[in-house]
Amino acid sequence: MIVPFEHVLAMASALFVLGLTCTLVRRQLIMILIGVEIMLNAAALALVGASAFWQQVDGQVFVVLLMAITASEVAVALAMVFYLRHRKGTIVADQFNRMHG
Amino acid sequence: MASILFYILGFVMLAATLLCVTCRNPVHAVIYLVKGFFALALMFYLLGAPLIAAWEVIVYVGAIMVLFLFIIMVLELAPREQPQEPGWQRWVPGLLLAASIMICTLLIIFQDPSAASHGPNHFVGPREFGEALFGKYALAVEVVSFQLLFAAVGAYYLGRYQPRRRNEEDQT
Amino acid sequence: MSETLLFLIPLLPLACAVVNMLFGMRLPRLFAETTAVAGVATSTALTLLFWDYSVGEGTRAVLGTWLSSGSLDVAFALRFDALAAPMTLMVTGVATLIHLYAVGYMHEDQDYARFFGLLNLFVFAMLTIVLADNLLVLFLGWEGVGLCSYGLIGFWYSKLDNAKAGTKAFMVTRVGDVFFGIALLWLFSLTGTLSISEINAQAASISPGVVIVLTLLLLLGACGKSAQLPLMTWLADAMAGPTPVSALIHAATMVTAGVYLLCRMFPLISLSAVGMTAITAIGALTALYAATCALAQREIKRVLAYSTMSQVGYMFMAVGAGTVSGAMFHLLTHAFFKALLFMAAGCVIHLAGNENDIFKMGGLARRSPPELLWVFLAGAVCLAGVPLTGGFFSKDGILLALFTHGDPVYKLFWLVGVITALLTAFYTFRLVYLVFAGEPRGHGHPHTIPMQMRWPLWPLALLGLAGGLLNLPVLVGGGERLHHWLGGQAGRHVTASHNLEWLLIGLAIVIVAVGWAAAHWRYRVFRGARDTKTTRFLLDGWRADQLVDLMILRPFNAIAGFCWIGCDRTLFDGTLNVLASQARASGNLLRRMTTGRLSSYLAAFAWGFLLILGWVLMTLVGRGGGH
Repeated sequence: MIVPFEHVLAMASALFVLGLTCTLVRRQLIMILIGVEIMLNAAALALVGASAFWQQVDGQVFVVLLMAITASEVAVALAMVFYLRHRKGTIVADQFNRMHG
Repeated sequence: MASILFYILGFVMLAATLLCVTCRNPVHAVIYLVKGFFALALMFYLLGAPLIAAWEVIVYVGAIMVLFLFIIMVLELAPREQPQEPGWQRWVPGLLLAASIMICTLLIIFQDPSAASHGPNHFVGPREFGEALFGKYALAVEVVSFQLLFAAVGAYYLGRYQPRRRNEEDQT
Repeated sequence: MSETLLFLIPLLPLACAVVNMLFGMRLPRLFAETTAVAGVATSTALTLLFWDYSVGEGTRAVLGTWLSSGSLDVAFALRFDALAAPMTLMVTGVATLIHLYAVGYMHEDQDYARFFGLLNLFVFAMLTIVLADNLLVLFLGWEGVGLCSYGLIGFWYSKLDNAKAGTKAFMVTRVGDVFFGIALLWLFSLTGTLSISEINAQAASISPGVVIVLTLLLLLGACGKSAQLPLMTWLADAMAGPTPVSALIHAATMVTAGVYLLCRMFPLISLSAVGMTAITAIGALTALYAATCALAQREIKRVLAYSTMSQVGYMFMAVGAGTVSGAMFHLLTHAFFKALLFMAAGCVIHLAGNENDIFKMGGLARRSPPELLWVFLAGAVCLAGVPLTGGFFSKDGILLALFTHGDPVYKLFWLVGVITALLTAFYTFRLVYLVFAGEPRGHGHPHTIPMQMRWPLWPLALLGLAGGLLNLPVLVGGGERLHHWLGGQAGRHVTASHNLEWLLIGLAIVIVAVGWAAAHWRYRVFRGARDTKTTRFLLDGWRADQLVDLMILRPFNAIAGFCWIGCDRTLFDGTLNVLASQARASGNLLRRMTTGRLSSYLAAFAWGFLLILGWVLMTLVGRGGGH
């Protein structure tokens, strides 16, 4: 392994926190979804690092499954963004508060 | 040599992602992210996952990010149309939260340092990968393929939406 | 022939009742009516056929075990003995005639299946009481007659008053049943058996104080069914039912169930002088009370109802004076002439165009078929105690028993009995004069009387008039047959000097004559209804209903209202409501947290994530410190 495992994990967590920040502070649905993508990639990085650390193939297999799930999630989410834009004429997340208590 | 390359790539990836997060224009943001994912793909390669690296480029960059771009363009999200992006008041709690999580994670990671790397890099070839994916994880592959099917159906259903019915539904 | 066949006597009416209730409305009317009458008539025939079984100790027939639990072993058992046999014959015989009458009376009613079903079921329940070998089977019949009485009083339930009268009868008799139930359980705990004969055999071993209480409990139970003070308020209202029902249930049979119960348990209750005096006192008070009430009544059936109450009071006095044969004698003759009177009253009401009020009748002697006057008169003279009729001998026997009783207080009861006899003669002839004499005062359109309503009156009239032959005193050449027939169950044998007996007979004749003369003088010509305070007081039955209302119902309602409003609604509901509103308030508080904004949910996710991370960190640090 070329670098210590901790460094890989630190990088993955930095990436994750960036994605989280994006999700928390941005208002557009598109940007929130991009934040989610970043976080998923952080997870992928951690998995690949783990796979390299333990010399096992399983981590990489999970990354492939993760990609497939991400693809389906993005397909539905973007279709929904499209739909909502047509319904409400906006994609600002906080405008969709009809389900308030 | 490879480790230095790894750190450089890591820096590039984080920098690109940071730009993506802070960028106001969604098109720019996606382009920054594509850059970051290229760097990430190379990091995968360096970590001994060439197949993943290839798919990262093909699936993430080639498909998903392009899909994002496509949607942004279809919706014509011109910068003037965007709502005033958050001021610093909105950033502060989010950043505080993110920073706390970051610190906690790093503390956890470095709490119990692992032993140094086990031997040389282990490159996973397509054969080994395929045997694991379609042998041990065959069921997971089936499940995920079903999910993809459902996602396709769901996306199709949502996309069937007729804009001319908008007024009627809003009235109800 | 096996003695188990005795079960056919009560079970035949039951079977007919079941048939009528289940299929009556789908069968032709004639079939339903025939089934009802045939069931009871066959029971009568069977009673005569099995008569020999009752000689001596009687016959005990067991169908099977009903309840068996530990020492409790109750069988479906009948006892057909000297006391039960005449009673059975009376019940079935009178019931047959009344069923026939009812066929005519109800010929326009569409709900005949329910009526005949209930009537048959009633006969079954009454026969169960009469023939029961143990107290639990007796109790079964006891409750059964209550149920049928309820259903038949409220037979025309679409009128609220009728339904209320049925409910009232049911509730008031239930009060008595509770005491009877207590006595039943107590007797079981004392003797370990429910068999009537065994309880009577062991009665001497029960301590005297307990016997007094048991006697009073049984007395209260009998009071409920027999409409004696203080549970008498239901009987007058029970006249809301159809006339055959009044004749069968509230004159001839059911109201005598209490007397029969006391006769059955006579060996037990006769051990307690206090109890016997109480029975006599209740009977005397009721007899006088009901007779005074009957003086002022305006509805023909209510007059008869109060007279029934009064006559049953005589029977209680007879039991209290120790002569079961006297009580049974009066019970039998009374059953005949009172059923007759009620059925004749039904004809009278028919003739007067469904008019109940005797002040609006009058002059029926000319309009009615002559036989109706004669049969009504036959019943009336029996009730009034005109010499040589059945009612005269049976009532006289009771008065004699009271007069000759050793305890001086019985002289007082005797005096009450004499006064009641005077009142009875007066109100009976008042009734006759008001209904039959003078000019017609009503405008009702007379209905024709069907044949089935006419001819059952004749046998009853004959039985009532000749009822004295059942137990003719030695004085006039009779043999006291009923007394000898009852044998060991007959109670005290009343003996007196001939002079005394003649004196009392003379007194009775004078009393009847005075009563008749007073009625003749007052009511020969109708001078309009008087509406004084006294009349109204008597018309309302001494305001007994208002008294019950004031003494029991109002406090009960107040307590119930307190429980309802005070406890249930304010305390319990209030507590729960406060809890519920608290829950709702806290829910509203929590509701604000769901803003519906995506960003707040995401932030909440992140905070939760931070918490989990913090916890993981803490455990790691803790573990690290442990190393």
